[in-house]
Amino acid sequence: MTVVEPATFQFVSFDAALIGRIADDLVDALGIDRPVHVVVDETTPLGRVRIEIGDVITIHAESGAFEDSKRPREQSEVSTTASLGRALLRARDRLTGGFGEAPADGELSLRQVSAWETYSVGRLERLGVPVNQQRWRYNFRNRHGFTDLADLAFDRIWSADGLTWGELESISTAGSAEGAAA
Amino acid sequence: MRKFFPVDSLARDSRFNQITMRQSQADPRSVLVGDATKQPRTNRLTPSRPDASDRARGLMHGIFVGEIQALEGAGRTCHDFETGTPDSIGTVPFALKLDMARQAWDEARHVEISVKLSEWMGTEIGQYAENTVLFEAACSTDPVLRLAGVNRALEGLAIDVFTTMKEFGDIAGDPYLEFCEDWMLADEVTHVKMGSDWLRRITENDPERRAKALEFQSVVDKIFSFGGTRSESQESPIGLARRFRELAGFTDDEVDDIATVSLNALEERKAFAQRAQADAVEQFSASSPS
Repeated sequence: MTVVEPATFQFVSFDAALIGRIADDLVDALGIDRPVHVVVDETTPLGRVRIEIGDVITIHAESGAFEDSKRPREQSEVSTTASLGRALLRARDRLTGGFGEAPADGELSLRQVSAWETYSVGRLERLGVPVNQQRWRYNFRNRHGFTDLADLAFDRIWSADGLTWGELESISTAGSAEGAAA
Repeated sequence: MRKFFPVDSLARDSRFNQITMRQSQADPRSVLVGDATKQPRTNRLTPSRPDASDRARGLMHGIFVGEIQALEGAGRTCHDFETGTPDSIGTVPFALKLDMARQAWDEARHVEISVKLSEWMGTEIGQYAENTVLFEAACSTDPVLRLAGVNRALEGLAIDVFTTMKEFGDIAGDPYLEFCEDWMLADEVTHVKMGSDWLRRITENDPERRAKALEFQSVVDKIFSFGGTRSESQESPIGLARRFRELAGFTDDEVDDIATVSLNALEERKAFAQRAQADAVEQFSASSPS
């Protein structure tokens, strides 16, 4: 069962039990093989999420990642699901093989991050999580270029399952300005 | 048709959630205070930020709702006041109404452009809270205060915002964003210029009224700078577009004053966030069982 910190929030109206339930459902749906710990930083409205993988998967999320943008300081179930889902898929990719060559999270370029996010969100959509594909296409274009080549790469990554890091990186590079020049 | 329309009666469908400036500023969370290692190197909105796309989407939605309110405000100024001579309080010259009508037309076009840009960026209408402060500044019963508060302070802020977004589009290579922001920026410069010109003409023989209007503008400038949203510091997401402000009729001294007010507001926001966080911790401790 997922542990959530803090158990009670001071700056935002978030529900730790709801976060825990969403994480548990995702752990089941994604076949994660180890316990998950979610630590929320409620002092910042930013939405960065980072993961630590050991015997336990620890997800460090800033409060903006779980927030309802329409109602500041309130929690959005959809945003919580999407943010935790992306983090857990990234953790699962690293744990299940094929991603051994991937740089550590802090060393990924913005282009690589956007490609991996695209790969994760595409899979979440097929699991039934509501996502706005155009939002992620826009993010991908910002990192790869506003070109037909970038859009083709996005479509391939979005609809893919079972990619290795090498395959993901190869499609992403081909869709970027560097790939176009090569 | 009703005159002097209250802000809480603006027509919006169920997609929108409106919040006041007070609610917006009550948020104790801030990236301006706290653990320095958690803070970004700069808060300026540029494509190099890891969260650039989402921040740009949020700002674009803010522009969208701002355009709706600017349309409503300019339209109200055409209707709320009788036609009269420049120096009679409570009336406005017909030529000023024509300028406001032209502005309403511009703002309607900006709303349409903003909707298209939001779709392009993957944002849904009403996805973010709508801060209604712009229309609140357009509710004054003195048309000169509206010109100062809306055309000079808020449309002046729009110049800063559009310049930041145009640069964002340019650096990111987004051709639509850069193009659209550039065209809207041109209109905003015109709107500010109209405000500056009419303020001078209407108050030509009434220095007291002019001083009151400029004081109101300063208050609105400060409100919009509160939160550190706009200043020349890298801690603010939006910079101060000095060149375009000059083109819009601001003097160097006026731009310097806005720069100072903005920096002071940034410091006030930091102090406020520190106090609010301390208060929240104190209240939480008091309410927790020992």
